[in-house]
Amino acid sequence: MIQLHNVQKIFGRRPAVEDLTLSVPEGEIFGLLGHNGAGKSTAIGMMLGQVWPTQGEVRVCGFDVTTQRQRALQKVGAIFETPVFYDYLSGWRNLEILSHYTAPTSKQRINEVIDWVGLTGREKSNVKTYSHGMRTRLALAQALLPQPKLLILDEPSDGLDPEGIHEMRLTILRLQKEMGLTILLSSHQLKEVELLCTRIAVMNKGRKVFEGAMSSINQAQNWVRLRVNDFAAAVGLLRKNDLITDERDGSFIALAKDSETDQVVRCLVKNNVSVYEIAPHEQDLEEFYLSLMKTDKQPAGEKQPAQPTASQGALP
Amino acid sequence: MLILQLRNELWKLFGKKRTYIGTGMFLLAQVIFIMLLEFGNGPYRSLVSGIKGAGLSVDNYLSNLTVATITLTPTAFFLLPLYVALVGGDLVAKEAEDGTLRMILSRPVSRLRLLLLKWMAGAVFSLALVITLGLFGALFARIFFPTGGLFVFMPLEGIFGSFDGITAWERFAVVHLVMTVEACSIMSMGFMFSCFNIKPAAATILAISFFFISMMMYNMPYFRELREWFIVHHLFVWTNFFRQSIPWPEVGGSLSILAGYNLTFLIIGCAAFQTRDIKS
Repeated sequence: MIQLHNVQKIFGRRPAVEDLTLSVPEGEIFGLLGHNGAGKSTAIGMMLGQVWPTQGEVRVCGFDVTTQRQRALQKVGAIFETPVFYDYLSGWRNLEILSHYTAPTSKQRINEVIDWVGLTGREKSNVKTYSHGMRTRLALAQALLPQPKLLILDEPSDGLDPEGIHEMRLTILRLQKEMGLTILLSSHQLKEVELLCTRIAVMNKGRKVFEGAMSSINQAQNWVRLRVNDFAAAVGLLRKNDLITDERDGSFIALAKDSETDQVVRCLVKNNVSVYEIAPHEQDLEEFYLSLMKTDKQPAGEKQPAQPTASQGALP
Repeated sequence: MLILQLRNELWKLFGKKRTYIGTGMFLLAQVIFIMLLEFGNGPYRSLVSGIKGAGLSVDNYLSNLTVATITLTPTAFFLLPLYVALVGGDLVAKEAEDGTLRMILSRPVSRLRLLLLKWMAGAVFSLALVITLGLFGALFARIFFPTGGLFVFMPLEGIFGSFDGITAWERFAVVHLVMTVEACSIMSMGFMFSCFNIKPAAATILAISFFFISMMMYNMPYFRELREWFIVHHLFVWTNFFRQSIPWPEVGGSLSILAGYNLTFLIIGCAAFQTRDIKS
């Protein structure tokens, strides 16, 4: 659905996006992660033909956005952080205005979408009377009007209360399930991305530092939670026996390839270390993201990814 | 589709209060001028003596059209440029500032088409503003002055004209129609600046500055020989329709030059807008 190939964007002398290659497959909820200023919005701007790439190719729905923007965006809907509308006009009029930039839209279609997002009864009120949540719903409605195949959501949960965030999450899932949309979700809310996305890319300082499936992150490393009477002694023993490769936080060990938890327990018990608990630990996105950022901050010579799979390439 | 999109641009333009602030002030200025001419002792006497001095009948020429034309001149020279520059400067830059432009440009509409729609909306506004002014001036003046002939005296432009009956109304209407070209040209100037990556206020100020600098130079005696090179000389082409005999070659030349100006403003604006990045 979206392909970026060696894309670069330089504002003045400052590179905002460097050598970005990205592929968003059809039917996925794809997360684009990164802190503020990482280059996410610039990348999205290039996908929508709002920002011209300095070099590289951006294709959306099979069309080059730079040369065939109208065809590329025919079936694309987008929502931006803090949705902005013509406040002095009604929600209905806003939808009418925005949808006509794509194609003439029937009143019936506008009604359907208003109903879908739950704004029925308020569509004739001026947008200035809308709450933030209602504006977000209106933004969603305008994105859905052209019956898109691809939805680009740039920080859609920004400024929403916990209830609104939950509602947005359910809506995104419903959109994918009921309409089969491909969704690109740009966010720095890691929990949301973790709950929604099937695949993610992480950007830092304009560069992509990771792209892969969410499942590969959860199982990125064979971490095991270990509770013993003497963690340091246990780690020493396990290292000596080549059963672990790493340890952290005084309670986690990374199993070596081919080693299993029963071998660990046997080794520790044999050496009089009391084992109270041992259980596999799934790494969450936050841990993964933070370790990626930590790795990226290190000087080039010292860079050693905290996770073996956190690399600049794509994971399977 | 084009009509639908233009209608939407007009909804946006005419839906906001900001658009009417200028018009409201304009009408207020006309009301003040007309009331002063009717109730101010000095202005009334001066007007009557002007008509008498020209050897014309006060009964015929002290009319609503004459009074409306008197109020028209200062507003067209000073207020009109101000308000159309404000609207032109807002057309693109205000949407960019508010963030709605980003919403529009996530749609499959070309930037060129969007700008043409906005320019057309600006042109419709210019026409509507001038027609409103003309109608309001003539109708409000009718409350205090009878209908009759049209007497025009603009010494700085060397214009002296008197028209009767239907000709008076024709001249009054044509002047307003041609004044739309003035309004549209200044709006286009504001629109051009608005297409650059600047604030709406900056676009308006640039357009107004351009106009007033041109106006000042046009009125300086040292530049008298260069008058035709200044845009204001052509912007005030409508004054020629108050002459007894219309200088058609001059009118045609000025209108062509203004068409060229409009096209140039539009092309520069489009080029600037096409190449710029739209970011939040």
